[in-house]
Amino acid sequence: MFIHIRNLAFNYQGADEQTIKDFNLTIDQGEIISILGESGSGKSTILRLIAGLEMPTSGNIMVGDHCMCSNSTFTQPEKRGVGMVFQDYALFPHMTVEENIKFGLQKWSRKEKKQRVLEVLELVNLQDYRKRYPFELSGGQQQRVALARALAPKPKLLLFDEPFSNLDADLQIRIREELRRILKSTGVTSIFVTHDQDDSQALADRIVVLRSGEIADLGTPNEIFGTDCSFSERLAVKPRVLSRV
Amino acid sequence: MKWYRSLKTTMNGWTILSILIVSFVILPNLSILVQFFSEPNENWLHIREYMLQSYIQNTLILIVFVGFFTLMIGTSLAWIISAYDFPMRKFFQWGLILPLAIPPYIGAYTYHGILNYTGTIQTTLRNQFDVTVNQDYFNIMNMPGAIFIFTLFLFPYVFTITKAYLARQSTGLIENARILGSSSWRIYFQVVLPISRAAIVAGVSLVILEVLNDYGVVKYYGIQTFTTAIFQTWFGMGDLQSAVKLSGTLMIIVVGLLILERVMRGRKRFSFTTTKVKLLQPVQLKGRQKWLAFSYCMFIFLIAFIIPIIQLLQWAFYTYEQFFATEFLGLIINSVSVAFIASTIIVVMAIIISNFARLNRGMLAKTFPKVTIIGYSIPGAVIAVGVVTLFTSVDRQLFGFYEWLGLEPTLIMSTSIFMLVFAYVIRYLAVAYNSIESGFDRIGTNFTEASRMLGMSVTKSFFKVDMKLIRGAIFGGFILAFIDIMKELPLTLILRPFNFDTLATKAFQYASDEMIHQAAIPSIFIVVVSGIAIYVFHHVLEKE
Repeated sequence: MFIHIRNLAFNYQGADEQTIKDFNLTIDQGEIISILGESGSGKSTILRLIAGLEMPTSGNIMVGDHCMCSNSTFTQPEKRGVGMVFQDYALFPHMTVEENIKFGLQKWSRKEKKQRVLEVLELVNLQDYRKRYPFELSGGQQQRVALARALAPKPKLLLFDEPFSNLDADLQIRIREELRRILKSTGVTSIFVTHDQDDSQALADRIVVLRSGEIADLGTPNEIFGTDCSFSERLAVKPRVLSRV
Repeated sequence: MKWYRSLKTTMNGWTILSILIVSFVILPNLSILVQFFSEPNENWLHIREYMLQSYIQNTLILIVFVGFFTLMIGTSLAWIISAYDFPMRKFFQWGLILPLAIPPYIGAYTYHGILNYTGTIQTTLRNQFDVTVNQDYFNIMNMPGAIFIFTLFLFPYVFTITKAYLARQSTGLIENARILGSSSWRIYFQVVLPISRAAIVAGVSLVILEVLNDYGVVKYYGIQTFTTAIFQTWFGMGDLQSAVKLSGTLMIIVVGLLILERVMRGRKRFSFTTTKVKLLQPVQLKGRQKWLAFSYCMFIFLIAFIIPIIQLLQWAFYTYEQFFATEFLGLIINSVSVAFIASTIIVVMAIIISNFARLNRGMLAKTFPKVTIIGYSIPGAVIAVGVVTLFTSVDRQLFGFYEWLGLEPTLIMSTSIFMLVFAYVIRYLAVAYNSIESGFDRIGTNFTEASRMLGMSVTKSFFKVDMKLIRGAIFGGFILAFIDIMKELPLTLILRPFNFDTLATKAFQYASDEMIHQAAIPSIFIVVVSGIAIYVFHHVLEKE
């Protein structure tokens, strides 16, 4: 297993209830996982815990052979080798597309940087937009730049926080297909959170359904959605035996 | 193990520096509190028995009346300018902030100069119209006069905060009231004043803190307040211990007022939870109403800015030749250099604490911003007392070290410019902090987090991303601190090294020595620099 999350728990300061309760998950290398849940279910918090932007109250996170977090250790986000595409993309407004992508390549040589920028821009089909500033791009283009920027340093794991929430419906369908193609071509392990079951179904190899900070269901899109009862009904039923956790 | 993990993760350079800075801010206040409970001496018993009551009474009269009048003028102007369109409205939007460029002590001696027996008005009446007036009507050097001066030059605090609130936050309520057919008076008293309560309380609190901080006006007009009493006890009686006790009492009053502000503001904040900001559309006034609104704004602008400026210019015209000499240049260099050094330190410190507070959770991150802004609430004279007692004890501790260096064991730190800069930093840290914090609030934490996910540390993220995105706020914070320090009087008067004068101290000294014409040039310099800063801050930076 490439990623191993065990007994993860978290609560925000001052909150009475735990936001994440006893979360367990293992992920294979190159797998695309979707964490699906309603607002407030804790799905973005899990992403932030994996990224190192929050510190869990208990539990372990292993990426490859490296322990990112346990009761005695905590690796800072910048040292985890994990990439993230934010919900609002968080492209640095004072930098061009090229500068945004180069930002994560600080330890690379100038030649390598140039080469890598061209590679990832080609991957997301934005070769002609190198010198543009983020505000000069459409929503879809910004999203692709954010993806290129996150992919550029060749992260071990890529995280997406509601990647399609700022896109209109047509673009959303096109981009998620393109995203799956890109992710599969690079072979990067990915986790994305969404509240949209169509996104999960189209993109993910496996889906984690989250309810009130706990795993309510886990399986392939077919296993999750392939039955007659609706998704909302399934959310209401008790968790199945999570054989693959 | 978990606490060790948390400690190791949060204990970085930002945290350590923040702890150090906050300790610096707290230390002088602590030294006052500690000495406040020391055994009282005879002076203090005398002050408490015979004088304290009148200090409290005068201070209360000042803050109640100035608070009331600034509230009425500030909110009414804010309402007229936010809700109605009339000639020169756009100019008044920032023009009515300009009186803040005139420090009240300059306003005080300027108005005294205008109204006294040899002043412009009485001289003109005597020479041109052969009218001699009753001096009682023109004597401004009393309590009502001080209230008039403070109101005139401090109302912009209430005006700006209320205007910002009305223009952006109250649109729905005011438009509803209009649709329901309420008259504008009714809307003002029944809608505007109640809904703007939080903004008004904040504005009036700033005014009150400025009044409590003032030394120049009350000293010049001969009104005994806490600040003048601290000066008198310290320098007149040479009794620092009683000065500390007076300072402690004043601190208790200030803390009481701050608690009262919190209670009055209740759970209300300046903004609603919605992020959709709809600007209030001003209604076009016609006919008599249009000119009434214009006249009201123009009248306040004239008496609070134009008239004192014209008077200062006239006096400056008499004396400018004396002043464009090396002495004046020296004053400018002194004022600008201390203000520049202190503002730079302030901005750096404000950045460190605000960046620490926004990127961390926990008790320290919540407490530090509150402690940082304490200094602005505490009157300059009190900070001065705290800083002097602190530096004197540091000097005593260092006597051995001075000897080891081959220096005479004497007071070195507590007679140096370093002590003045230190005091400025404590007093004005809040000014830059608020500006920088609001800059950070605007950009949120996403850019920093994105940068960290791309392999940059917190510090590198700050320099490569955050700093560039909030440079307007940093610049704004610097300007505000710089201007406040340029105008500052009580701290500078107490803590300046021997023979060190700034434009403010020199202007005040000339005015106190009845050399009012000579006071004009340094005063104008302060007003012009402050005016430019206000223009840049409210006109240019707000647009940005």
